[in-house]
Amino acid sequence: MQLIRSGGRGALKLAVVATGLATAGVATAHHSFAMFDNEHQIRITGTVSKLEWGNPHIYILLNGGESGKDARDWTIEGASPGILNRIGWKFSDIRQGDKVTMVVAPIRSGESAALLKEVRLADGRVLNNGGFAGPALIKID
Amino acid sequence: MSHSVRLRLVAAGLAALVTLSAQAAAPRPVPKIEGPDFSGSWEDPYPPEVLRPADSPRPVQSVPPAPLKEPWLSQARERQRKAAAAIARGEPIPNNGLRCIPGGMPSMMGTVFPLEVLQSPGQVTIIQEAFAQVRRIYLNEKQIAFEEAEPLFFGHSVGRWEGNTLVVNTIGIKEGVGTVHSPRMQIDERMVVTSADSWEDHITITDPEYLTQPWSYTIKYNRRKGYKINEFVCEDDRVYADPQTGKQRLRTGE
Repeated sequence: MQLIRSGGRGALKLAVVATGLATAGVATAHHSFAMFDNEHQIRITGTVSKLEWGNPHIYILLNGGESGKDARDWTIEGASPGILNRIGWKFSDIRQGDKVTMVVAPIRSGESAALLKEVRLADGRVLNNGGFAGPALIKID
Repeated sequence: MSHSVRLRLVAAGLAALVTLSAQAAAPRPVPKIEGPDFSGSWEDPYPPEVLRPADSPRPVQSVPPAPLKEPWLSQARERQRKAAAAIARGEPIPNNGLRCIPGGMPSMMGTVFPLEVLQSPGQVTIIQEAFAQVRRIYLNEKQIAFEEAEPLFFGHSVGRWEGNTLVVNTIGIKEGVGTVHSPRMQIDERMVVTSADSWEDHITITDPEYLTQPWSYTIKYNRRKGYKINEFVCEDDRVYADPQTGKQRLRTGE
């Protein structure tokens, strides 16, 4: 696997790409994030219905949506607990019933699922989803 | 034999037994641990998980392409081309990682996640946080014959210290683990402890059947003081390969 970097509108985009040539290489990652549309990030606000804290990824189930649109049940993918722990998260930072705002990259299939970029927690702190998920390209508020 | 003589003999026998068992139970001193101290938690000098400001250059520890012989080189390039095209279409091709299969050797020496080194008498153990991969390097042992090497994800590793360098040889990597290879592939490593808080793994892979020349690269590690390796049990993941289309999907909802 190799880390491939490409610029776009001045933003750093990171993708972990499995390659036949370098599978014995430096990276050991779980899967590509290319199924999410990084170029069309959205901001959603809602109430956490469940946090699934586990490997290889955490998931946040959220009832809510974009401003002015109907609320839906969203499935939001996060990084792994190890990565999140190292960049300052704690498993108890998000709890059922919390009101949160997120910047996410929606899944290309059109389902209500997305990759997390940034989250504003109930206590006001803003956490990102690590280097592999890439940065938020829109402001969280 | 009189009753008293028999009693004395039994008593003497019991005393001898007690002495023997006491000797057997005597604690041994801890055997010496060889080499410089490089136990602890290690990570990439520029951990890739850290989100850096846009446009800031980020050094990436990269691995050169394997110098494969034909036709494997062309096959590998074609797979790489297809994988890149699939990524560009937003339809990444599912890989072993998606099925939670660990990378094995040598990819477990990579630094997407931290790793831990444990030194004990006669053994160095390396634990990769990603997928909780473990390899054991047995010190001062003779490597087994290729024919005796059970195919494994982490292979059979033996090592010896040469000053500040742990010289390691690994054979017996299972087919399908890492790049295409033969049962005679060898991974030679020189783990150079460069300071109290850094070391480098100089990796050289040789394979008379699949490689045109030795495949060499170096991975650098910095100490992450006080870091406790996270557990990594790959649970039910929501991302999966759709059995009908072969495409990567995400299971939504409860």
